Amino acid sequence: MNTDVLIIGSGVAAAAIANRMLEADPNREILILEAGTRVKMQDQALWDDFMVSGSSYTKLPYYKYNDLDYPQRDAPGENLSVGATVVPLAGARVMTYGGSTIHWGGWSFRLKAEDFRLKSNTGQGADWPITYTDLEPFYNQAECYIGVSGDSTDQDPPRSAPYPFPAFPYTLEDQPVYQAMTALGMSSANVPIARHGITNTTSRHAPCKTTGTCKYCPFGARYAAPNFLGDMTAWGNFPNLCIMDNCVVEQITMSSRQHASGVIYLNKMSGEFLTVEANTVIVAGGAIESPKLLLRSCSTYWPLGIGNDHDLVGRYFVTHPYFVFTGTLKDNPNRLQPEMDFPTLCSRYFDSPQEQAAGKFILINPPSSFATLVNNKPSSVTQMMQNGMLRQDIEKAVQGPTQVQIHGMVEIPSEYSNRVSNLDIRNRMGLQETIVDYSQSADFNTRMQQISAHVGNIFESMGATLAGPPSISWRADHSACTCRMAGTEQEGVIDKDLKVFGVDNVYICSNAAFPNTGAINPTLTLTALALRLGEHLAAPAHP
Amino acid sequence: MYQQQINHPANLSAEPLPPEVYEAMFDLFEHICHFWDNLDNPQNFKSRLFVFMDNRMRLHPEYRSFYIQANQTLDELVERLGEAAAYKMLFTDTAANQAPPQTPLSLVRQKVSNEFIAFQVSQGGFKAFTGAINYPGYIAGAFIPGEPVPYRTGQEGAQ
Repeated sequence: MNTDVLIIGSGVAAAAIANRMLEADPNREILILEAGTRVKMQDQALWDDFMVSGSSYTKLPYYKYNDLDYPQRDAPGENLSVGATVVPLAGARVMTYGGSTIHWGGWSFRLKAEDFRLKSNTGQGADWPITYTDLEPFYNQAECYIGVSGDSTDQDPPRSAPYPFPAFPYTLEDQPVYQAMTALGMSSANVPIARHGITNTTSRHAPCKTTGTCKYCPFGARYAAPNFLGDMTAWGNFPNLCIMDNCVVEQITMSSRQHASGVIYLNKMSGEFLTVEANTVIVAGGAIESPKLLLRSCSTYWPLGIGNDHDLVGRYFVTHPYFVFTGTLKDNPNRLQPEMDFPTLCSRYFDSPQEQAAGKFILINPPSSFATLVNNKPSSVTQMMQNGMLRQDIEKAVQGPTQVQIHGMVEIPSEYSNRVSNLDIRNRMGLQETIVDYSQSADFNTRMQQISAHVGNIFESMGATLAGPPSISWRADHSACTCRMAGTEQEGVIDKDLKVFGVDNVYICSNAAFPNTGAINPTLTLTALALRLGEHLAAPAHP
Repeated sequence: MYQQQINHPANLSAEPLPPEVYEAMFDLFEHICHFWDNLDNPQNFKSRLFVFMDNRMRLHPEYRSFYIQANQTLDELVERLGEAAAYKMLFTDTAANQAPPQTPLSLVRQKVSNEFIAFQVSQGGFKAFTGAINYPGYIAGAFIPGEPVPYRTGQEGAQ
């Protein structure tokens, strides 16, 4: 089999690259290989199943395509954690057609200008070889591509074009946090969120109908790559676009040190190992699978794996610790209840140059806040009825003690000693399992104490009692930096155009390309990078 | 977008659910509405309830048996206790809510009644308790500038 462009992985990066290249040339020959399988989207029965479960993650149709937990004494599990800090892979990503966009929350923040100069500003981590100004036009395009609703007057960071859809206003449940932050002099902002609004142009994507079941949207209003890939293949009139699922790429093959000839992949349905020849290979398999594929691709030209002469592939692995502070209000006279499943208020007050050296962080008022406490357990109206509470008891309970939360995440500089690599066992999807070696830095706990003091002030201003220290998840949702962009091959794996140093036709387009992650979700930035790469590869070759 | 629906292969040769079972299940739904007095005009939700039941059977063929069993169990309970007491027991009996269900009554409670409650709340039953205008599972509608926001906002609170 031959193709012009081969993309490995079918998440947002693959979808955006293909979209941009096919806009430029609808006849472009593009093959996308995906290791996972397809999950039914926008199915009413699957939605009902999720909804009546009280939005239980285990009831989602893609739950089974997550990693398992790490092995335990009485459960075999998957993958291996060998560092001092456990970074769970279970729940962090979904190995399906469409990748992890099938379950993401849609938070679509931009990095700020100082994030591109982390090392210059603080001496930690690495700088990006491009600037915010370089990427800003592609942020605009990315927001249109994934359909972001946001506040166009918010100029932090500066923007040259409006969001395609207006911001969802703050909810009533946001008010206590909003008032507390305002009283403390902390700025707040609308959460930019990848949910389509009403448009005056023809769109195949329904507007968000605020159903509050975002992990499985019955309308496809939240951006999910499988919906967009499905549209491209069913309606796009792209005769040479081909997407094959259940195909695990084993290695990239080289015809010389500078030139990849294609890949060898396992067709899981037939059990055959097959070859694809390609002019251009784009690895878009996420921050964990992308470096693992380069490491597996050993040859006489690259004995340590493609782009790995300096032992940088898979290194600098990092993610965002996600913290959850919980408190209690003694009563809830306005009967505030979660009305949606996505947040509308955040604060980037601490996502600032002044906080960069210590670790920038953002705060979110989550949609899980204002949960009625019954016998000290959060209970929804549904659960109270199901548990047999009478109407008058429910009415009393919803005005009584209530659990409130503030969530957030903090920037962690990437370190050379933290890495991911291949484990020679295949998981249920046919991919090689992963060895995760991560140890948190010594000063992390100090930073969390500082964050706790700030959040404590907010809770105090709200009249809430803090329940104790935050829960902190190191789950690998935002894993990044494992094939980082750099100015030289001594500092990174790929150049500013995402091309592997020393190879003419292999590109990495995933969170692996980030030199650092700032304090915010990476997906919008990845989409901007993908559109930028698509434009780069769509351009006519120079003579 | 028109899409092929998921349908469990075991349904391909299954008999349709008898009409009287659909009606009995709607009767249960009406009792939920009356017991908590939180949703007016249950008749308006009849067709949606039947679609919901069809969806449950489409994905999980065993629900056909659950609904038939629920019909029988409720008939027996009503005959023994009378209608009001029978439904009060179904909705409030603590033992019937212990998972996993091991009695006919607990099966009806957990696999049918509790799911109907979740469905009923998502159809608007939540409004009576909290004054909220949206809830997880409720299709409140799109946010269209210039029109009412489909959830309670901070501006509303300020008024």
